[in-house]
Amino acid sequence: MAAARAWTRWRGASDPLRLFVVIVLAVLLALFVVYPLLELTGRALSDDRGFTLAPLIAAINSKSNLRAFADSLLLATLVGVCGTFFGFLFALTVERTQAPRFWIRLLDVATLLPLISPPFTTSIAFIFSFGPRGFITHDLLGINNATVYGLTSTLAAETLTYFPLAYMALRPMLAGIGGDLEEMAFSLGSSRWRVFRTVTLSLTVPGLANAFLLLFAASLADFATPLILAGNDFPVLPTEAYLQITGMFDLKGGAVLSLLLLVPAGIVYFLQRQVVGRRRYVTMTGKGRAGASQDSVAPLMGRILMGICLGIVLFILYLYALLLIASLVISFGANYSLTLAHYRVIFTEGLPAIEDTLIIALIGMPIGGLYGVVVGYLVARTEFIGRSAMEIVTMLNYALPGTIVGIAYLIAFNQPPILLTGTAAIVIACYVFRYSPTGIRTTIALLQQIDRSIEEASFSLGASSFMTFRRIMLPLIMPAFFAGLSVVFIRSMTAISATIFLVSINWTLITVRILENMTELSLGPAAAFSVFVIVVVIIVTAILNQVLRRLTAPGLRLPAVEG
Amino acid sequence: MTTSSMRRIASHGLSRRALLGSALATPFIARAAFAADTLNAYSIWPENYARPMMEAFEKASGIHVKFIRFSSGEALARVTAEKANPQIDVLFGGPIETFTAGQTQGIFDNYVPPAAADLPARFKDKSGAWTAIADDPLVFMTNTQFLKQNNLQAPASWDDLLNPAYKNMLQMADARTSGTAVTRIFSILQVHDRKEDEAFAYMKKLRQNVQVYTKSGGGGTLPVGLGQAGGGIFFIVDALFTRQQGYDVQISFPKEGIGSAAECIALVKGAKNPEAGKKLIDWATSPAMQSQLAPNKINFIPANPKVETEAGLAAILKGAKIIEIDDNWAGANRQRIVQRWIAEVLNAG
Amino acid sequence: MVERGEPAGIRLEGVSATMQDRNRGEIIAVRNIDLEVRPGDLMTLLGPSGCGKTTTLRMIAGFQAPSSGRISIAGRDVTHVAANQRDIGFVFQNYALFPHLTIFGNVAYGLQVRSRSAGETGRAVAEALELVGLAGFGERLPNELSGGQQQRVALARAIVIRPRVLLFDEPLSNLDAKLRVSMRGEIRRLQQALEITTVYVTHDQEEAMAISDRIAVMESGRIVQLDGAEALYRRPASAFVAGFIGRANLLHATVASVSGDGVTLDIGGQKLLMRPPGAQAAGAAVRAVVRPEAIAIVSSNTGLTGVVRSRIYLGDKIEYEVAFGGQMLTIVRFNPAEDEGYLPGTTVFISIAPADVRLVD
Repeated sequence: MAAARAWTRWRGASDPLRLFVVIVLAVLLALFVVYPLLELTGRALSDDRGFTLAPLIAAINSKSNLRAFADSLLLATLVGVCGTFFGFLFALTVERTQAPRFWIRLLDVATLLPLISPPFTTSIAFIFSFGPRGFITHDLLGINNATVYGLTSTLAAETLTYFPLAYMALRPMLAGIGGDLEEMAFSLGSSRWRVFRTVTLSLTVPGLANAFLLLFAASLADFATPLILAGNDFPVLPTEAYLQITGMFDLKGGAVLSLLLLVPAGIVYFLQRQVVGRRRYVTMTGKGRAGASQDSVAPLMGRILMGICLGIVLFILYLYALLLIASLVISFGANYSLTLAHYRVIFTEGLPAIEDTLIIALIGMPIGGLYGVVVGYLVARTEFIGRSAMEIVTMLNYALPGTIVGIAYLIAFNQPPILLTGTAAIVIACYVFRYSPTGIRTTIALLQQIDRSIEEASFSLGASSFMTFRRIMLPLIMPAFFAGLSVVFIRSMTAISATIFLVSINWTLITVRILENMTELSLGPAAAFSVFVIVVVIIVTAILNQVLRRLTAPGLRLPAVEG
Repeated sequence: MTTSSMRRIASHGLSRRALLGSALATPFIARAAFAADTLNAYSIWPENYARPMMEAFEKASGIHVKFIRFSSGEALARVTAEKANPQIDVLFGGPIETFTAGQTQGIFDNYVPPAAADLPARFKDKSGAWTAIADDPLVFMTNTQFLKQNNLQAPASWDDLLNPAYKNMLQMADARTSGTAVTRIFSILQVHDRKEDEAFAYMKKLRQNVQVYTKSGGGGTLPVGLGQAGGGIFFIVDALFTRQQGYDVQISFPKEGIGSAAECIALVKGAKNPEAGKKLIDWATSPAMQSQLAPNKINFIPANPKVETEAGLAAILKGAKIIEIDDNWAGANRQRIVQRWIAEVLNAG
Repeated sequence: MVERGEPAGIRLEGVSATMQDRNRGEIIAVRNIDLEVRPGDLMTLLGPSGCGKTTTLRMIAGFQAPSSGRISIAGRDVTHVAANQRDIGFVFQNYALFPHLTIFGNVAYGLQVRSRSAGETGRAVAEALELVGLAGFGERLPNELSGGQQQRVALARAIVIRPRVLLFDEPLSNLDAKLRVSMRGEIRRLQQALEITTVYVTHDQEEAMAISDRIAVMESGRIVQLDGAEALYRRPASAFVAGFIGRANLLHATVASVSGDGVTLDIGGQKLLMRPPGAQAAGAAVRAVVRPEAIAIVSSNTGLTGVVRSRIYLGDKIEYEVAFGGQMLTIVRFNPAEDEGYLPGTTVFISIAPADVRLVD
């Protein structure tokens, strides 16, 4: 009965404050999520005479577009499979083998790197390593004429970039479930492999499906990696849409291509909701590995697994080492004399970009954090007309590939009634509405752990809903607030696919400067910027984590929700 | 606040970085440019070329230029998208194809600077939509090690690039985003006397040797410098820049001839600071700017005949056959030719 | 001490409630109940899970709106008044302490909501903690306390504001047996000392009987009997109540004959006399309730025989299962003699006082 109560909505008498907040949110969402998408669709599906499906039909009929579409799906599927596989491998190694703590921490830290890095870092390093004169292909392996452009490298780079998401999603799952079932199976005389197959694997299937969909969506939306690595033989939709607009100055064409991307993105989003439902948030038990059977993986196998994981970690660290070296030498590949010139450049000529990015990130951070918490609370705990609609709309900008959102904002806000191009507001709005959903979902997940009765207790003692939110709920969902802060900050520092369309004379971003530097072949500054971003992100998230640790109410466990 | 930004504040008057209050408010102001003191531009020239020029301009005129760099395709797309509410005053640098294309989009205002009187016809638009500030020939650039390993001489003919040794080893610009590519394609057309089918047949063959078409014109120079690619076709500025950085590369010209693209400047229609913009155009088209190119190691050929080409640059160009491309014809047919290139050459691979 | 005034009565008139069940859709949880709680009384809502007792309590609290009917507290219609304006104190089954506040912070919360001064708050909290036996615990956090201590904090938090009405939702069900017994006594003592009208929900009939002034037994959303403990035990209105309060043997019988002062029941051939008579006619099929402790096993022939099927020794009592008239009887003998040896298989005589037999429908 008590558990059932945790699910029911607050049906109390209506509340003027809550109504006000809901209305404000509805207006904001209509403005910054719905309106741009409508404008995008309108622009894409119209000609001089009005609404028409002709551009869409033409786009679908175009062979090159179909090819790009098919390529995108193929790449996304492969990335999903490979990334899930590696994520699962890592999770298995961490949760089911006897590995010592040190190695586990190493795995944790190393898998964090791709998640907090600016774009292109993997791609640059790949070119250096695997090109025709690449460090690995040519110098180490003696392969001449290797090609680094195309499906294989894009697949490899994206897998490396995104498998940590699968790891983060699968690890708590393996930690929290199955240990006792496995032990029971062992006691019944099952072999390890059989137990793994019939117990562990089948219990993890929902988690694997979720991880696959996560990675599928991430790859589908990835604009930066294919831009560098896909080459001309493997076009993918986000990059094609970008090139359509910026290269062929065909806003309509780019808009139509973006709409094509909507289809798989939408399918994935709904599949995720189906497959995983609301029980997506497995709480971390924080009990160390009490959930894991001690015997599930044979020691030898355990060492092999750890070996594979370490190999991958080493490769990741190698890629970042390359980045660091490129930032510290005069000309990578030609002149290896050490220099701090590139860092000097980024802190002088690049200073406006650094300041702009930090200002935008620091403004967007609290806005995004608060927005995430308020929406999460309203959606999870209160009842009002249009609640489910609001929940879906808040997720839209997050679920859609960045290219679509960026183009939509460019189209929508470059004309009256709302003129925002050239301001920081457009970039901040893009970040807030695109990256807060993580905070929303963490809030919802955390709220599910907090029983209804705590709020009811506050009400019974005479507190208003505002006071209840402020004095009781807000402190309890602080972890979600900080998770939201941290994600918005990290994304503000590292995002590019949406915001490349939104930079202007007055506001420019580090990631766009990295891209510019790369195309201008100033690799030194590009690498220096990247290192700077990584360092800043590490410092800020470390600070946030420390504060979070102090503020988390004892007894509450922060659920793991993918970022 | 850093000393550099403080310096910037001191020399440029009111700056958003100076006041916390305005820093909080500015996200919501569209930053209408301050009259007469500031100028906004998109630069197609790389940062390290544009910056010294803009700083020199500021010293000379007192006007601060705020600019952001885009490749030619991106710049054109942005200015066109912003037509209803132009964010900039001047489009600075960039190959002529971009400007003629922009002219048909109607994004420029006519303005004829005084220096135009000294310029030959191909360096200025009749009505004043754009004016040239430099000239930039295309070159072949190859990696010395690669040539040695394959027993090759630096390519001296377009057909030399069809050599199977270059298979998967050439990099050059993508016509969808780069003016370099468009100049290259029109050079090839010119070499084949505008017989389009012949020219496209050549380009299809060349495609077989191309490793990747890069987003920006100079995108392939680093790979060639590093040896990731064996060679490519680039503007001379980018090729010489690569050599200056210490990479071991060869520069050569085909005997059939190769084209060059004028680098231009234009005033944007609806600019919010037209007077300042005109001043920049005046300055850039005159020896005042162009005499600063060589000292800054920027390897464009000055457009203004009153400025001498730097000695080293002149030496490289000696004996090269630079052919003239009819820019009007190129402008009129750009869209069609590029589409054909995409369909027949790019997607043929 | 916070001033309170006269104790408040609670009245429910024709109150119904519906609930969303995840599997069955919308169900009726409470059907049209009328209830009156006298000022200063402790009324218990007693029944099995799903009977609607918690829903009723939550409607009194204001956490759930009734689908029809009226609820008044102290004569004021509060049916549509928000929970935070009803001046109630609610003690939850899972304590619902605010995990991030200290014990002091938890107890002081309601006072701070009412904008009491810091000094007044301090005094009131200290007094409340003293009352529940947790003086000096102010600086601890909830997760440092045992279950019983947490429940006492919850109690202190609810009474410190001297609400008009105290509501308890199965507050002791998460505690172990001995603690339950001692805590219920404390709750009752406190309630009587403070004279606060209280509604208490539980499924434990012993608890209900121990502390209530009156008990409302609920089943399937209805109140089936509202009475004091003794009346409920001695004169259950239905088989359900009889079985729920204490233990009962439910016998199927037919009326053999009716006389002036009693009714003779035929149970599988055996004749049982019951007094006083009711409105039954001879030949009618009835059900009779006899408490296990009201049945004696005697040595003399009473005319009623049974065969012992099982015997369980429990220290203070022995329980027998005896086959009687084709049905099973549970018999409890307290304080058994040492040589009491009615072993399974033995045929025994049993004796039941006529006044201890009750008919139920």
